[in-house]
Amino acid sequence: MKLQTHYNKINIIGTIIIFCFATIGYYFLLSYVLTDQLDETLIVEEAEIYDYIKKNNSLPEASIYDDQQIYFEKNNGPHFRIFKSAEVFHPLEKATEETRQLIFTVTVKGQQYIAHIIKTAEWTEGLVWIILFSTLSLLLLLTTAFFFINRLLMKKLWYPFHQTLSSIKQFNLSAPGIFTTPATSVTEFRELNESINLMAEKVTQDYQTLKSFTDNASHELQTPLAVIHSKLDILIQQPELQQESMELIQRIFTAVEKLSGLCKSLLLLTKIEQLHFSGKETVSIKKIVADKIADMQEWIRLSKLTIEQKGVDTIILSDKELVDILVSNLLRNAIQHTPEKGTIIIETGNDYLKISNTGLIHLDTNKIFNRFYKDGYSGGHGLGLSIIKQICDQYKFHCHYIFLEGHHHFTILFH
Amino acid sequence: MRLLIIEDENELAHDILLYLRKEKYVCDVAGNSLIALSKIETQDYDCILLDINLPDGSGLKILEDLKTNRKNDGVIIISANNSINDRINGLKLGADDYLVKPFHLSELSARVEAIIRRKMHNGNNTMLWNDIFINTVSFEVRFAGKVAELTTKEYEILLYLMANPGKVITRTALINHLWTEDLGAGENFDFIYTHIKNLRKKIQQTVGKDYIKSVYGIGYKLSDK
Repeated sequence: MKLQTHYNKINIIGTIIIFCFATIGYYFLLSYVLTDQLDETLIVEEAEIYDYIKKNNSLPEASIYDDQQIYFEKNNGPHFRIFKSAEVFHPLEKATEETRQLIFTVTVKGQQYIAHIIKTAEWTEGLVWIILFSTLSLLLLLTTAFFFINRLLMKKLWYPFHQTLSSIKQFNLSAPGIFTTPATSVTEFRELNESINLMAEKVTQDYQTLKSFTDNASHELQTPLAVIHSKLDILIQQPELQQESMELIQRIFTAVEKLSGLCKSLLLLTKIEQLHFSGKETVSIKKIVADKIADMQEWIRLSKLTIEQKGVDTIILSDKELVDILVSNLLRNAIQHTPEKGTIIIETGNDYLKISNTGLIHLDTNKIFNRFYKDGYSGGHGLGLSIIKQICDQYKFHCHYIFLEGHHHFTILFH
Repeated sequence: MRLLIIEDENELAHDILLYLRKEKYVCDVAGNSLIALSKIETQDYDCILLDINLPDGSGLKILEDLKTNRKNDGVIIISANNSINDRINGLKLGADDYLVKPFHLSELSARVEAIIRRKMHNGNNTMLWNDIFINTVSFEVRFAGKVAELTTKEYEILLYLMANPGKVITRTALINHLWTEDLGAGENFDFIYTHIKNLRKKIQQTVGKDYIKSVYGIGYKLSDK
């Protein structure tokens, strides 16, 4: 739910509740004030009756007017004096009406009477309703006006926030342009923008550091590796070396080369991440596959593998070196993991490349593209498939793995 | 023949010097571009080994400098950077070859040999070691005067061994030299074994000597002892 809707919801419900209570309270207040006023006129009448009795030593005449009746009746009870509201039949109007009465006892010439002063309260009631209605309409009008004003105001007030939001949405870590948030005079938004700018800067910096760390670390490792390598090359020239030492040196060589290969793969991954390969050439997938097979012929022959290339050629527009790396990694992966005398089928077709090879077990589909994933008997460094995945992710290809009828199938869709 | 090694890593420079000096080369070492430039100014080199990442700037500047001064020195870039773009940039600027660290010294030696051969002999590209003669332009190989028929791989192995006579060459170095594609072969050396066996047999049949000595556990050596 939008903030605006939230705000309106709370606002409207709150206003309605306050209105209800205010209306009830207002009604009672108004009727109290008006009744009080009426009571005062009743007291004035009472005083007039007392005055009359004092002057004339007799009761005044009973009277009936539109808005007032006075009459007396004999009584023998105790003295009392009460105000009350009641509906009374008005003989002139020939209808019952809302009245306010003052009933009290007076004694004239030793006889006790009950005096009734009845004043009509019809107009008071009407007044209450008129006042109530007009006030309520005014309030309703005001609320409606506030609602629309608020809507406009909120839109205007929140404008910098929405702008900030849209610039956050456009923020891309792997292609960071200059991240800017709009200038605003509202302190809260300015603080928000400042914090976001700070955060973005930090995130970008950390990301760059991380990226350049892999880059630099792999790079810097090559020099000491080169030193180890050359020292070993010098070492094996020593004439007095025994066969055992030679074998040890060979193992060191292998380890150094493995490490160097690992560094190169990590560097390659960073390069792919940084979209370093930006060439746009027409690349024939079938030709690249044929070239790679030729390059690896010796290896294929030694492993006694059967390679079958089928399907029509597909020409894509991409960076040749990149496609080369992709195909080479796929093929190397297939050769490495095909048991002796196995088969590798390479199929090309409309915008796809599919490499299938004999396999023993289903690989973990969720993990095979992870960095440093090894299936247990793989001698590689576990980066080959993640390089493939990285290429596909960064250059909008799709790669897909499935194990079917004793074969691993890797499919690359170039669109 | 005179070489200049421009490399800021002393240990590496020292090893290169040690390895190449035993061949017929005289080597100078420069640890930064300043020294390198002053050496290039005063001395003509047959081949310059150039590291790209130098403490006082890029080695490519030296390369540009060499080319603007129309120096004819052969240049091999040795760099930790293994990307085709860097390679192309280096070669565009006039380098003759590009070698990625870490490398086998035998590989470096073979490349230096090739460049000097190309520069020095002006078309008459021949190599001679004992009874073995190679013309690298016509690909003619003679053992004790007799023309030998070699496969491409055998020819390349022989050329590599002749660029490093008397040196122990690891099988890994040979595999890396013969197959550009990194096969990740690990310790599977069957790759090279058949080729070496056939080459050895061909030499033995004509010359009567086994020049290719197996160095157990590690590789081979071209030797007449």
